[in-house]
Amino acid sequence: MVRRMNELNTFLFNILLFSLFFNVGISLYGIFARPSLIKKIIALTIFSDTANVLAIIVGYRGWPSPEQPPIPPVITSTEPTSEDLIRFINRAVDPLPQALVLTAIVIGLAVTLFLIFLTLQVYRLYGTTDVRRVARLRG
Amino acid sequence: MIELSTLTYLFMAMTGVVSLVATYLAILESNLIKAVVLSAIQSTTYVILFYLLMAPDIALVYIPVSVGLYPAAVLFLIKKTERTENDSNEVVASED
Repeated sequence: MVRRMNELNTFLFNILLFSLFFNVGISLYGIFARPSLIKKIIALTIFSDTANVLAIIVGYRGWPSPEQPPIPPVITSTEPTSEDLIRFINRAVDPLPQALVLTAIVIGLAVTLFLIFLTLQVYRLYGTTDVRRVARLRG
Repeated sequence: MIELSTLTYLFMAMTGVVSLVATYLAILESNLIKAVVLSAIQSTTYVILFYLLMAPDIALVYIPVSVGLYPAAVLFLIKKTERTENDSNEVVASED
């Protein structure tokens, strides 16, 4: 019974992983093959978000067959005793990918805003946001 | 009887599948406003996923950035430029 539940958990977790990798593939198709610059920006944000989720999954403690349910990486008391720290280390998820992803989200927002105003400037200069039309311009 | 961990993995799989569908529709949609709304739906599923993966601080940062601020900026860009994405090659090729 426990083994069957474990197989079910693994199956459900694999569905999540495969859908994230398909998301990476679809958004890369959107970045490279779609003609509109705005669609490229949307696909780029989806791609960076999916990369962030994959980084969070690397630090997750509850991959199938966990002994205990994981907890967020937060110590709830201001002066923790050694028992608190032992329980924290045994059960909390890895906080390092979360700190990195928190930085990456903010940097991604800045990059996206820069690309948005770059696209606005392209439209003001050339009158189009279609990369095929921009590539045909001379002079 | 379903255990709590199985329920967590079930919700994770559901958010993954919903985000996959939303991404597919957002990339293939030619109306750009609908594409932005679909990508906001995809971001909402990622927020639920961050919460289930025991990263509530990321979820709190991610809600205003990816559901609020970013679609507002792209909608501003769409309002200033073009509403639709022209998909066919013939229209562009016949302009010369």
